[in-house]
Amino acid sequence: MAKLRLDKIKPLVALGVFLLAWWIVPTATKSIFRVSFDEFQAPAWITVSFLDDLEGFWARRSHSKLELIEAGRELARAKSMYQFSAQRTETLEAEIERLESILNLPSRREFRYEVARVVRRDLNAWWQQIVIRKGRDFDIPEGAAVVFAGGVVGRVVEVNAFTSRVELVTSPNFRMAANFQGDERPVVYRGVPQTGFGQPIGSVADAPQDINTTERNPLKLVSTRLGGTFPPGLLIGRVPWLEPGSTGIFQSGEVELDPQLLSLYEVAVLIPLQPIQLEDDDR
Amino acid sequence: MIVDPRAILMFGANVLLFYLMLLVNSGLAAWSIYLFLLGPMLVLPVIYLRHSSYFVCTLATGLWVDAALPATFGLFTLGFLVAGAFIFQIRFRFRAEHNYHLILLAHAVNFFCILLVTLFMGLSFLANGGFWMQLAVTILTSHLVLLLVAPWFFNLQRLLFSLCRLDSEPDEFPTL
Repeated sequence: MAKLRLDKIKPLVALGVFLLAWWIVPTATKSIFRVSFDEFQAPAWITVSFLDDLEGFWARRSHSKLELIEAGRELARAKSMYQFSAQRTETLEAEIERLESILNLPSRREFRYEVARVVRRDLNAWWQQIVIRKGRDFDIPEGAAVVFAGGVVGRVVEVNAFTSRVELVTSPNFRMAANFQGDERPVVYRGVPQTGFGQPIGSVADAPQDINTTERNPLKLVSTRLGGTFPPGLLIGRVPWLEPGSTGIFQSGEVELDPQLLSLYEVAVLIPLQPIQLEDDDR
Repeated sequence: MIVDPRAILMFGANVLLFYLMLLVNSGLAAWSIYLFLLGPMLVLPVIYLRHSSYFVCTLATGLWVDAALPATFGLFTLGFLVAGAFIFQIRFRFRAEHNYHLILLAHAVNFFCILLVTLFMGLSFLANGGFWMQLAVTILTSHLVLLLVAPWFFNLQRLLFSLCRLDSEPDEFPTL
């Protein structure tokens, strides 16, 4: 009879012992567990990503020679246009440097770009993150800014050996300093829980009272150098309306983000040439 | 053997299901659909295995899931073990030879996991209408898909047992 009772409560006793052990085990041990399991899974995701690339390669191989010649021609046109743009950028940068030296302005944060493939998208009501195919092997630092052709993607929140996890601007846990294009006054951008219908959105707060925007001509919200993580001028989204905030001093509103954020294939990580100091950033 | 070989097979099947779930979710991200299919992972180990083997299998599965998802580390491990301990107490009430009871259990565990992750990760967004809308879509689609996935998954696990010439009957079940 006593044995039967002990058998009955065995699962509960085991659970209690495990809960106690979990509570006692130091955070470092749990962290080792997490990293070990995560790194163990990484090769499977990287393999899928490479298989995806291979699929693209074979799909392109099936194109006819005429199609390839046409694509090559278009590429040559684009290349000459970008070469011209690069020359113009160099001239403008030299001009900016000259003016900065005349005005004794403080030096700007310089970045190098590391282009990375998106391995996995993990977007739901609780978190909005993507996993990219570059990690410590490419010196990706935690807290680095991530961008794409449409503007800001998010921020690196976790770096592993060969992969990194990026928190998207759509995530409710994401916030950054921003300003409206053509207006240097800082505002705060925050991600909000997504409805899942329509394009992704965010929110802007602490906008000055004299800023006006309309649905026909929405203001562009861009990054500012205040946070230190992002270079200034990168597009975050468009703000179609603003309304007085809860305090009545500032305005707040909705930010329409790029729909491509939900189906990214390739992003660029901005790696600062000077190391990031996370406590200085607006995290 | 300390651990039942079926526990290793079940863990392998759980890893496969989890991998497929994340792969599909990655593809469905543009449509804002997320499938949350963790429920079936717990059911067969609880019903089929002795306590020690069930515990090892569930612990390994929980740690595997926790490492891959950005939730608080240990949330799914502890959640699985709590749900597992409860089901283990009453497991003789379920019929393991058919999928009917097992599917119901999978739905219950899945809903418990969604509730758990909502309480721990979404507590600050509870006042937001968008959050509830997406959560409702996630629950609805996940449980609809689970109606198809759960029987397939249980049959796959039983097939693996027979392929590996392992016992396909639950342990410690009362015999008439």
